[in-house]
Amino acid sequence: MTPAELVVDGLGMQFEGLTALADVTLRVPAGEIHGLIGPNGAGKTTFFNCLTGFYRPTSGAIYLTGQRIDGLPPHVITGLGVARTFQNIRLFANMTVLENVLVGEHQHIAVGGTDILSTRRPVYPTAIERLLILRGFPRAAVNGVIEIAGAIVRPPRVRAAEAAAVARARDLLAAVGLRGRENDLARNLPYGDQRRLEIARALATRPSLLLLDEPTAGMNPQEAGAMVSLIRRIRDEFATTVILIEHQMRVVMGVCENITVLDYGRKIAEGPPAAIQRNPTVIEAYLGTRAIQGGGHAAP
Amino acid sequence: MPDTPAPAWARTALRIRWPLFVALVCLLPFALSDVWVQMLVFVGLFIVLGLGLNVVVGFAGLLDLGYVAFFAAGAYTMGLLTSPGSPIDSGLNFWLILPLGVLIASGVGLLLGLPVLPLRGDYLAIVTLGFGEIIRLFLINRDDLTRGSQGLSAIPRPELFGYRIDSFTAWFYFVIAAAVLVGFCTARLRDSRIGRAWEAIREDEDVAAAMGVNTTKYKLLAFATGAAIGGLGGVIYASFIGFISPAAFSLQVSIDVLAIVIIGGMGSTPGVILGSLILIGIPRILQFRETGDFLARLEWLRDGLNGLIGAVDAAAPGSIGRLPPAETWGAQLADDTRFIIFGALLVMVMVLRPSGLWPSTRRRLEFAHEESAPPAPVTAA
Repeated sequence: MTPAELVVDGLGMQFEGLTALADVTLRVPAGEIHGLIGPNGAGKTTFFNCLTGFYRPTSGAIYLTGQRIDGLPPHVITGLGVARTFQNIRLFANMTVLENVLVGEHQHIAVGGTDILSTRRPVYPTAIERLLILRGFPRAAVNGVIEIAGAIVRPPRVRAAEAAAVARARDLLAAVGLRGRENDLARNLPYGDQRRLEIARALATRPSLLLLDEPTAGMNPQEAGAMVSLIRRIRDEFATTVILIEHQMRVVMGVCENITVLDYGRKIAEGPPAAIQRNPTVIEAYLGTRAIQGGGHAAP
Repeated sequence: MPDTPAPAWARTALRIRWPLFVALVCLLPFALSDVWVQMLVFVGLFIVLGLGLNVVVGFAGLLDLGYVAFFAAGAYTMGLLTSPGSPIDSGLNFWLILPLGVLIASGVGLLLGLPVLPLRGDYLAIVTLGFGEIIRLFLINRDDLTRGSQGLSAIPRPELFGYRIDSFTAWFYFVIAAAVLVGFCTARLRDSRIGRAWEAIREDEDVAAAMGVNTTKYKLLAFATGAAIGGLGGVIYASFIGFISPAAFSLQVSIDVLAIVIIGGMGSTPGVILGSLILIGIPRILQFRETGDFLARLEWLRDGLNGLIGAVDAAAPGSIGRLPPAETWGAQLADDTRFIIFGALLVMVMVLRPSGLWPSTRRRLEFAHEESAPPAPVTAA
């Protein structure tokens, strides 16, 4: 994968009377590790939800390496190269560690019948199209039947695809330091390992843009340090652009090349860590003027 | 934790456990009388239905209370195309109608699946419940086509290599073959990319989508697969009984099948077999003449209890009834009190063994670790 460039143009997200995001414009160059910070409720996670198709932004546009992706369904956006982790860890708790990663590989297991990645769809399909999913329906039905038949008969082609996927999943788990835990249920992993598994699962989708939502939340400084080096390694080895939401300022300042600050859904500052640290608007937004410079937890 | 490899004999036993089980089951007709074999045909039929619903409820986690609709679709495909009373009697061969019935049922499954896709949990259950009733009412009211509540009769029985599947024993083997086929297919599906996608949807639909799973497509596939198996059951049922009417496709069937899946253990094939034996087999056994004959020996118990009731009645005159003859107890239990026992059993299983009587290995793990898990860091939102 080559890392993707992200361009967000005038993004707005309105929930009946509540403006979660307003006119956010942002450009993250390919291969950058970009930080997204801001007080609680600033709209950081909402921003991620717009990028991944969980929400349909009410205004503005999102481009991934030139291709417009806002308004596309989540699985299509994932197929185009956007992967994410979640603030409150959302693993498939009752599946094994290996299976979690295999679900991430879903679109890359060639089991016969290509998946419908209806990327040529208009960005804003009509209501009827969305309702009936008519576009691509016959093809999806044919693919579904082929996939079911393949799963039952298990021809060599399917076996090979499955074996290759398992091998890739094992490699990914080894890369994030979870070798040997493959057959544990995800819910039984210790907290830090669950965060790492979420990252492995996201990497399995082969992202060109990786969104990490508070990857070091609840970690002690030592664990957070290990996470920082993992994030750097991921950017280099897996060739992705990384955006991370983070509250631990030491992490943000240490790993990010550029930082965007959100407050009340608006972008109030953008720039390299050193500049952000001195920015009076940012300091004001965080209320505790010394919090940022102290290098501890900035969030109230 | 290091996995100690199991000894060779244990691994062999594990590998051949299903063929061995099926082989043993195939010996049953030699040891049992016709009523028992007939009972087992029904048990086998409900195993097929249970395995089908298991795909929808157990694998994909979509609560479907209208499963009878697909059963009816299969049965009426068979009935309408072969019953002499039907306006579209085609006289087609059973083996042609079988795939047709499966296809039509899965079409009905898609029909139900499309509008209910955005619904989750309780809402889905209610809409599917309504759907099951709509199908039944349709069958009653379109009497120009379905002959309404009169039903369709004289549905012919299939032939295989010139041999008519007629005796209970022949039907037994036929139903077992269907159950084995369905069991094999669903097990293969569970251990595939589709199975993982279903499971991911069951666990957390939003995250499944974020991992690239087209949740719409896979939910529809679950509905269609479950419905196809229900249709297969319907075709077999219609041909076995030879007569179908809307009364046979009531909500009760959906509930029976769902109870089989839940009591047996969601997602578990042995669970479906066990659940079907208990919920379909036992009520039938209770109605056997042999059971009545056996219970007749309990006449002394009835006399004693009636004496007791008489004493109470004499002390505080009222109108307490007396117990019926002991030989009818079984039939009464199966008839009047069946649902109370069903309900009690369901509640007991949910309280004592929430993962079912014979849960799948995975489910067993889930519930076993519920308490011993480290201070729940996982939040399944």
